[in-house]
Amino acid sequence: MYVYRIMLFLVLGGYLLSPLMMSGWASPGVAWYRPFVLWGVLIALTLWLEQKRKLDER
Amino acid sequence: MNASLAAVFALGTGFLLVLFLCALAVERGWIPTRITRHPLVYTLALGVYASAWAIYGSLELASTSGYGYLAYYLGVAGAFLLAPVLLVPIQRMTRTYQLASLSDLFAFRFRSRWVGTLITLISLLAVLPLLALQVQTLGNAIFLMTGAASPALLALAFCAMIALFAMLFGARQGRRNDRHDSLLAVIALSSLVKLVAMLGLGAIALFGIFDGPMALQAWLDGPGQVHQASVIQTDPAHWRTLLLLFFAAALLMPHIFHITFAETLSRHTLLQASWSLPLFLLLMAIPVPLILWAGQHLGAQEAMGTAYLAYGLSDALWVQALAFIAGLAAASATMVLIALALSGMILNHVLLVAHPPEAQPDLYRWLLWLRRMLIAAVILGGWLFYRIVGVHHDLTTLGLAAFVGMSQCLPGLLALLYWPGANRKGMVAGLAVGLLVWLLGLWGPLLTELPPLVIIPPGLEGLAGEPDWYVVTLVSLAANVLVLILVSLATRTSEGERAAAEACSVDAVIRPKRLPLEAATGEDFKRHLARALGEEVAIREVDRALDDLGLSPLDGRPYALRRLRDRLQANLSGLMGPSVARDIVDRYLPYRQGGPEATEDIHFVESRLEAYRSRLTGLARELDGLRRYHRRTLTRLPVGLCAFGDDGELLMWNDALAALTGIDGESVIGARRDSLPAPWGELLGQILAEPRDHLYKQPVTLEGGLRYLSLHKAELEGGDDELGGKVILIEDHSEMKWLEDELVHAARLASIGQLAAGVAHEIGNPITGISSLAQNLRYDTEDPEVLETAAQIQQLTDRVSRIVASLVGFAHGGRHVTGQAFGPVSMAAVTDEALHLIHLARSGEDVAFLNRCPDEPRVEGDAQRLLQVMVNLLGNARDASEPGGRVVIAGEPRDGGLRVTVTDEGHGIDPRVRDHLFEPFTTTKPPGEGTGLGLPLVYSIVAEHHGQIEIDSPPPGQARGTRISLWLPLNPQEGETPR
Repeated sequence: MYVYRIMLFLVLGGYLLSPLMMSGWASPGVAWYRPFVLWGVLIALTLWLEQKRKLDER
Repeated sequence: MNASLAAVFALGTGFLLVLFLCALAVERGWIPTRITRHPLVYTLALGVYASAWAIYGSLELASTSGYGYLAYYLGVAGAFLLAPVLLVPIQRMTRTYQLASLSDLFAFRFRSRWVGTLITLISLLAVLPLLALQVQTLGNAIFLMTGAASPALLALAFCAMIALFAMLFGARQGRRNDRHDSLLAVIALSSLVKLVAMLGLGAIALFGIFDGPMALQAWLDGPGQVHQASVIQTDPAHWRTLLLLFFAAALLMPHIFHITFAETLSRHTLLQASWSLPLFLLLMAIPVPLILWAGQHLGAQEAMGTAYLAYGLSDALWVQALAFIAGLAAASATMVLIALALSGMILNHVLLVAHPPEAQPDLYRWLLWLRRMLIAAVILGGWLFYRIVGVHHDLTTLGLAAFVGMSQCLPGLLALLYWPGANRKGMVAGLAVGLLVWLLGLWGPLLTELPPLVIIPPGLEGLAGEPDWYVVTLVSLAANVLVLILVSLATRTSEGERAAAEACSVDAVIRPKRLPLEAATGEDFKRHLARALGEEVAIREVDRALDDLGLSPLDGRPYALRRLRDRLQANLSGLMGPSVARDIVDRYLPYRQGGPEATEDIHFVESRLEAYRSRLTGLARELDGLRRYHRRTLTRLPVGLCAFGDDGELLMWNDALAALTGIDGESVIGARRDSLPAPWGELLGQILAEPRDHLYKQPVTLEGGLRYLSLHKAELEGGDDELGGKVILIEDHSEMKWLEDELVHAARLASIGQLAAGVAHEIGNPITGISSLAQNLRYDTEDPEVLETAAQIQQLTDRVSRIVASLVGFAHGGRHVTGQAFGPVSMAAVTDEALHLIHLARSGEDVAFLNRCPDEPRVEGDAQRLLQVMVNLLGNARDASEPGGRVVIAGEPRDGGLRVTVTDEGHGIDPRVRDHLFEPFTTTKPPGEGTGLGLPLVYSIVAEHHGQIEIDSPPPGQARGTRISLWLPLNPQEGETPR
């Protein structure tokens, strides 16, 4: 259940802070794939939390 | 425009044919279930969210808002990241109560059929633009590829094929909430096709148009700057609103709701989708800017329009075919699922509410065909909306109108999950206000040429000049939430609504009441329901519910009947929607009126708590831990325990009682006391009716024989908020009773023993006289026969003297008097002498004794004591043997001693007394024939000789009989014992 809260904070934090990150994405010199890399990191984090949740519920 | 109309038609038809074949293959079992039910298939099926918008609309949005197009993907990814706290509770509810749509969920929670109808109408209005969007992309793609004058007609042909597929594979006879493997597989295949096609188009753009990622970056930092300059970066507020809209879409859009909750998938699979669906969406999102930049690089924007830039990547037919297939796969899967979901909602919340299905001769068939007609009507409606309205609007306008419309249900859904205080009036009022703002601001203007009527409340003038979709979203949702809260607080919530709110609330535990039903068994259920559903359907539904619960049709436990009623309501809800199901169940399976006051169903509450365990945190978790500890204490208590409620319903039956009675707790909990199997119903009734709190050593005949049970009861006094009832402890005092009886018997034998010792003492003198006389006789005669007789008399009187001496010794604290010192003893000779003595007795003359004991080796011991052993053993063997039987005495050296066996072919020894044979007073002989002292004496003598004794009954290799094995050491001082 505590893992769920981490996910909740993660999503809410992402929701509030994402415009700040977005502003830099379209600037010249910023790699075009940066948003996708960040997104990939988020997925990896979720996968890790999902594994932790499984252990937590065992 | 280098493809012919026939080629495009053949391409589209071919793709749809592949979908048909895939569905057929799954249905016929040609594809193994381990593949069709793999979590990956479910993730891909969830990918239906990526509709034609993801193929074309995202390009349009990306060209104007840059990375703002990602909101479409990230919003839904956020919803799935929150699957454990958001989606899983909804899944639990929809599964428990068989709720297949958003309308079902709302109608169940707010206890109103009209709420379900309202949600259905909103869904229909909101989804029509999304359906039109799908058809529009099909029509435009055909036009771009062929230049045909009337692509709409070809789009209609595709719509007809999609409708046919949905009717054939989506709507099936039987339970609506069964998992449709074929449908899931086809949707998954569509997702896979569009993913591969999009990745292919992205690869063409990245490596075909540009020379890889570095070249693309160089173009973006150089010539591409011109195109990037025209992009208006999404305002943070707009971005957040878009995220919210697409987040809501994951929960509310009828097709997403259907695939996420109505297809009965496991919780584990849903949780796995929390990362796998975002991964799928990431892969779908990456090619979008690549195609856009490649199109801009090629200057194809003018000819194709931004949404359809993929068609301008190359003149090659296969590249355009790839783009067309991606769009067709996305559109067809979305249309199939929207049609299925909406048809179910319209059927349950519009048609069945207006025309209840009572007394239909073939209910299942009637429902099936109604649903199929509705599927066709929904898809046709989408095509008509496209023809009348859609052609005049771009994809973004259509899509946003749909998503903003559906988001009006978001406040109600969140209240449903997290605010039990919300009521029907508040929800409907809030929804009506939000809906009005949306209809005037976004939906109405789609239909008419009139300018949108965007309402800006006083104080929010700052919103003027913002995009219509943004203002409408903010104002409608804010008004919706505000009205919902205010009206809910100001108005009264009905009792039924309160109960449903508890059932839906994430943190609440359902506290159902124990109410008796009119129907007494499952058979009664069938009879009552037949009046509403017809006999055949009633029998099928009741049997199905019984099967689901694993109950017998004759189970009359009130608890089981309540569960059966709940299950039937849930199953009928899956078939006809919760409103109609509730009406039928309330009317035909009513609770009994005028009974005792209803109390909480504590057993059901406990079973639910067990299921929710992993969701509890903090204090609730601590308290649950305590509850489980106390529960375990009672369950594992080594004394039988049961508890009855005030209404006489059995609430607890612990493990010890289950072991004692042989009745599993699960089969009797929830039953009335008088329906318990004999003799328990009567026995428990006896203690409950008894004014005293204890009943001691009640004789009860059970399978294992007569048992003596002591019962104790205590009153559980109920308070305002506490359950009352009675708790009963049942102790098995049989062994104690037997011990008491043994003790009485032993005391009696002890007094007899003392008497015998006295008698033995008195016998001593005449025996000595007889012995002296026999000795004198030897001097008075030369007759050999008389001499022989005199010798025998002397031998026997010696033996009587020794026995008397032993008896006296046994009576005086078990100390035996040893008449002779230890010396070498031939067991063969001892056995011969014992046999001689045995033969003196009249009984057992027809039993054959075979002495095969060897003369050597000799054991070290007291010959008289060992003779006593053999006399006892041979006497027992003789008594156990039947006439004509045989007793074999054998011996062999073993482990430094001699092993002597006495084997008979008699009736053997009862296994129940075998372990107690060497205990005093244990006998297998009829009363009066045995004292139970022979074998204890044998054991004692063998122990004095440092030997061992074993019993095999029957002996190995024999069907019956007994073998007693003695092991006596050749030299007892060494104290060796065999292994």
